[in-house]
Amino acid sequence: MTMSEVFIDGKRYEFEGQPQLLQFILDLGLEVPFFCYHPSMTAPANCRQCMVKVGSPVKDRETGEYELDDEGNRVIRWFPKLQTSCNTVIADGMVVQTQESDELVQRAQKDTLEFILANHPLDCPICDQAGECPLQIQTYKYGPEGSRFEVKKVHKPKHVQLGPRVTLDAERCINCTRCVRFTDEISKSHQLTIVERGDKNYPVTAPGRSFDDPYSLNTVDICPVGALTSTDFRFKARVWEMNQTPSIDITNGKGCNIDLWTRDNLVLRITPRFHPEVNDYWMPDAGREAYQLFNENRVSHPAQKLESEQVSASWNHALETLAEQLEQTDRKDVLFIGSPHASVEENFALMQLANLTGAKTPVFTPHVEEGSGDGFLLSDDQAPNAEGCRLLGLEEVSPKQMQTKVSEARLIVALNDNLFGRGVLDATHAKNAFWVVFASNHTETTQMADLLIPITTAAEHAASYVNVDSRIQRTFPAKETKYSNRRLSMEMSEGRLDRFGTSFDNWVTEDHKIDCVPFWDFATQAGERLGLNLHLIDGRQIMDQIATMNPAFEGVSYVTMDEQGGIVLAKESMAKSK
Amino acid sequence: MSQSDWRTYKPVLIPPVDNLHEIEVYRKQGGYEALKSVLTDKKRWADPKSVVDEVKAANIRGRGGAGFNAGLKWSFMPPADGGPRYLACNGDESEPGTFKDRKIFEYNPHLFIEGAVIAAYAMEITTIYVYIRGEYRPFIEMMRKAVQDAYKNGMLGKNILKSNFSVDMVVASGAGAYICGEETSMLESIEGKRGYPRVKPPFPAQKGLWGRPTTINNIETLSCVPLVIRNGADWFSSIGAKNHPGPLLYGISGHVNRPGVYELPSGVPVLELIEEVAGGMRNGKKLKAIIPGGSSTPILRADQLDGVTMDSDSLRTAGSMLGTSGMVVMDEDTDIVEVLWRISHFYHHESCGQCTPCRDGTGWLEKILLKIRNGDGETRDLDLLLDVTTQMEGRTICALADAAAWPVRYTITRFRDEFEARCKKSVHALV
Ligand SMILES: Cc1cc2nc3c(=O)[nH]c(=O)nc-3n(C[C@H](O)[C@H](O)[C@H](O)COP(=O)(O)O)c2cc1C
Ligand code: SF4
Ligand code: SF4
Ligand code: FES
Repeated sequence: MTMSEVFIDGKRYEFEGQPQLLQFILDLGLEVPFFCYHPSMTAPANCRQCMVKVGSPVKDRETGEYELDDEGNRVIRWFPKLQTSCNTVIADGMVVQTQESDELVQRAQKDTLEFILANHPLDCPICDQAGECPLQIQTYKYGPEGSRFEVKKVHKPKHVQLGPRVTLDAERCINCTRCVRFTDEISKSHQLTIVERGDKNYPVTAPGRSFDDPYSLNTVDICPVGALTSTDFRFKARVWEMNQTPSIDITNGKGCNIDLWTRDNLVLRITPRFHPEVNDYWMPDAGREAYQLFNENRVSHPAQKLESEQVSASWNHALETLAEQLEQTDRKDVLFIGSPHASVEENFALMQLANLTGAKTPVFTPHVEEGSGDGFLLSDDQAPNAEGCRLLGLEEVSPKQMQTKVSEARLIVALNDNLFGRGVLDATHAKNAFWVVFASNHTETTQMADLLIPITTAAEHAASYVNVDSRIQRTFPAKETKYSNRRLSMEMSEGRLDRFGTSFDNWVTEDHKIDCVPFWDFATQAGERLGLNLHLIDGRQIMDQIATMNPAFEGVSYVTMDEQGGIVLAKESMAKSK
Repeated sequence: MSQSDWRTYKPVLIPPVDNLHEIEVYRKQGGYEALKSVLTDKKRWADPKSVVDEVKAANIRGRGGAGFNAGLKWSFMPPADGGPRYLACNGDESEPGTFKDRKIFEYNPHLFIEGAVIAAYAMEITTIYVYIRGEYRPFIEMMRKAVQDAYKNGMLGKNILKSNFSVDMVVASGAGAYICGEETSMLESIEGKRGYPRVKPPFPAQKGLWGRPTTINNIETLSCVPLVIRNGADWFSSIGAKNHPGPLLYGISGHVNRPGVYELPSGVPVLELIEEVAGGMRNGKKLKAIIPGGSSTPILRADQLDGVTMDSDSLRTAGSMLGTSGMVVMDEDTDIVEVLWRISHFYHHESCGQCTPCRDGTGWLEKILLKIRNGDGETRDLDLLLDVTTQMEGRTICALADAAAWPVRYTITRFRDEFEARCKKSVHALV
C-alpha cells in the first residue's frame, strides 16, 4: 500500500489521514495568504483569501485505474470554481495550484484584497497593528498596485469600548469572525457576535454587556487587522520600535509561554507565544497586565532600617550586613525562606547559601487560592514555581508552620515572596527577628525588612520555572539593569532599531534601568565575605550545576530546554532527590 | 396536456374554491386523501421509499429558484437512525418580483401541510419547520391557524390518521432578512442564530438543523406533492414543459394591466403571458424588457423574447433563468439605469457580509451605479462594473453574490447604449 499523494504546484508530497489543504501547505513551509483561518478554531471560510485551484485525477470506473492522456499524464478534472484551501480536505491524487503556478489564483487573491481594502480606512500610519498586520503584509505581497475604488467608503463606529481591556475600531474590521469564534470555541464566554449586515458588519457584545472575558485580549492578538486593540497598549509604541523576548508568564502556575515587548528598558506589553502543550496560542489577560510589575514600584538600590525607617544603603554595606548577621546568629536561629514566586535558580542559590552556612534547609509556603483556577490557563496556584521548590527539596510548610518558624527565628533571609501581603504572616509574627528581604517590588513584606536588597525580575534575568504540570521552562533577559549590558549579553533579543537604527534611535535613557542584581550574584558575593565559595555565575551555569546534583533535573540545561520547548520533569524523582 | 393548452388549464394549486383555507372545505375537496392513501394503503405505498420514487419520477423541479428535482433531493437523506430528522419548508419568499408562496398560505395552506406531511413520511422526518418571512405577518397567523386545525383533525402530531406515523409542525418566522431564504442560512435562523449561510459540505442532508439530517424545500414545491400522490407521477410530468413539468405559480408584476399570481402549466410563452394572462401592456405602451424569475435572473430585451417559454430550457437558451417564475414586465418608458441601481441597492442591503467579495462587492456595485444614475458616471465605470461582477461570481459561500452580479453583468451588456448615454466619456481607462 503506497502513501497517499498530493501534487502542489507540480511537486509531489505524501500525506496521511485527511489533512486540511491550507494547514498542510503551511506545515510544508509554503504559503497561501489567508485571514479568517486559525489553526485552533473552526474554519468559516469567509474571507475568501486562501483560494486555490483544485483538481482530482479521473479514474476509469471499471478498472479503478487513473485515466491517462496521450502523453501518459493523468487526466485531471478541475473543480469548476476556485476552492478555499482552509476548508478543503486533501484527497489522494489531488492536484493543487496556488498563486505560485496559476494566474487565475493570483488574480482571485488580488481581487479579494482589493475588495477588503475598498472599505478599509487605510490609516496604517496611526494604526497599532501596522508592522505586524497580516492585511498589510499580504497586501504588499499579493494585493493590487492601487485601488479602483473611487466612491465613498462605509463609515462605522470608531473607539468602541467593548470591555475593560479591548477597544474596537469597527471601520478596520474585515469581518473574519476570529474574535467571535474565540469567545465561542476557546474561552467559551460567548460574549461577542457580529451585528448589522453586509458591509456594515462588526463585532460587539450583547446590549448592556461588557466584554470582560478573562481571556479577552487574545482577540487583539488574533484580529488580523487593527480593529481590536488593547485599551492599555493603544498608541504606546510602534511594533518596530520594540524588542520581542521570549519568556514565561509568572503570574500563575500554568507557565504560559509569552513574549515580552520592550523599548528603552520598559516592558510595554506581553503577548502569548505558541506552545502546543502548554498554552497553544493563548494566555489569560491577568498575565498580560503583569507587565507593570517589571517597570513600576520596583525596589531599586539596597536599603537598611534605621529607627523604623528604611534608608538607602550601599551595596557594600548590604553585603557586609548580611555577612555579619549570618556570622553572628546561632545557626539554629536562622531561617531561610524560599519562594514559589522565584525561579529554580534563585531558590537553588538560597539553598546553597543555607547549606554552606550550616543553616537548615529553606522552607516555602505555596501560594494557592482554591477555586481561582478555571481548568484552562488559570491555575489555583498563584505562583510560577511551587513545583520547582518541591523538586529542589525545599521544605514545604503550611502557613501555620511558617508562622511558628518565623516567630522562633532570630535572623530571617527571605526570597521574593509577599508573605505579609498574601496573608501567610502578619506583623505579630515578625517582631523577634532581623529581616533580610530580597525583593523586586515594594510590598507589605519589603516594609518589614531590616535589610532590603533589590533583585532582578523574570524580565531581567534568564531563569527557569516549573509549572503545575511539572514542565520546566525558562525566561530570557528582556531589559537591562544598571549593571547589565544588552549588547554584551548574548541572551538579549535584538530589535529592528538595534540592527538598523543609529545609537540615538532607542534605549537612550538610563531612567528605566533598575539598580538591582540577580539574587545568585548577591548570594555568591555575600558567601565570599564569609569565605564560602558558591560560584554561581548565571542561570545557565546554575542549571548545569543543579542537573548534576539533583536527579530530578537530570538532563535539564538551557540548551535542552530551548530545543524542546521546556522539559517535563518526572514527579517520582522528587523522593530520590531528597 | 401540451404547452399551448394553457388556456384550458384548470388550477390545482390554488383552485377557485371558496374558503378552501378552512380544513373542512379542503377535506370536502378531497384534501388529505393523498396523505391517507400514503399512510394506510400498504398495497399502493409499500414503504416510504415508494413515495420518494413516485415524487422523483414526477420530476417536481424545486420552485425556490434552483430547480432541483425534489424526489432526488429527498433520496439524499441518510437512512434513519432513530434520532431526529427535519424538513425545513422555505417560505422566506424575499427575492424581488416573487410573491407566489403567499397565495398558498392564504388560499390553500392545507395543500402545503398535506404535502409536507407526506414528505415527512417519505423521509422519516420527525419535525417540520415552516419558515415564513417576518414581513408576512398576516400569513404567519393564517399558517398558525391552519396548523392548529390540522393538529385538531389528526393530520399532525401523534399517530396521524391513526397510523404509526407521527410528526410535528412548527411555524417559525424570520426578522426580515432576504439572506434567510438561502437554505442553510434559514437553518441558522431557525436555530436562533444569525442568518449566516453555512459552508458546504457538509450538506444539510448530512448535517442540517442542530447537526441532524435535514431536507429543505420551497412551499410551492411541497404543495405539488399531494397532487403527485393523488394523480400519479405521469399525470404531473405530462403537464407543461417536458423538462420542467407541472403547475406553476406565475407572479407577474410591472407595467401590465392585470398584475398578479396566475396558476398555469409551466412553459407558457412569455409574450402570451403578458398579452393574454396579464391583460397586455399598461396604457398600450411597448414592451421593453422582462426579468423572468426574480430580480437575480438576467434581464431579457423585448427583441429576445420571440418564442421563449417559461421553463428552464427555453429561458436558458434565451440567456436567462426561470428562477422563481416571478416575472417583472417593463415598458418602453422604463429607466433601465434606475432599475439596475434599485436591484443593486437591494443586494447591497441584503448581503449577510460573511464573504469578502459579496460584502464589499455589492456595495461597490451599488455606489458606482448610483454615481451613473446621478449623472456623475464615466464610461470606464461600466467596464469597472463588469470587472467587479467577475471578481464576485463563483467565489463566495452562497449564491447571493452571483445573484447580485448577474443583473449588473446582463443589464449592462444588454442595454449598454442606455448606460453609455448616461455617462461622460472617459478620457483614460481605470487600471
Ligand atoms: C440568497 C438566496 C435567497 C434565497 N431565497 C429563497 C426564498 O426566499 N425562498 C425559497 O424557497 N428559496 C430561496 N432560495 C433557494 C434556497 O436556497 C433553496 O434552494 C430552496 O429553498 C430549495 O427548495 P426547492 O428545491 O424546493 O426549490 C434562496 C437562495 C439564495 C442563494
Ligand atoms: S474585529 Fe478583528 S477579529 Fe473580529 S471580526 Fe473584525 S477583523 Fe476579525
Ligand atoms: S455570498 Fe454574500 S450573502 Fe452569501 S454568505 Fe457570502 S456574504 Fe453572505
Ligand atoms: S482563510 Fe480560507 S476563506 Fe478565510
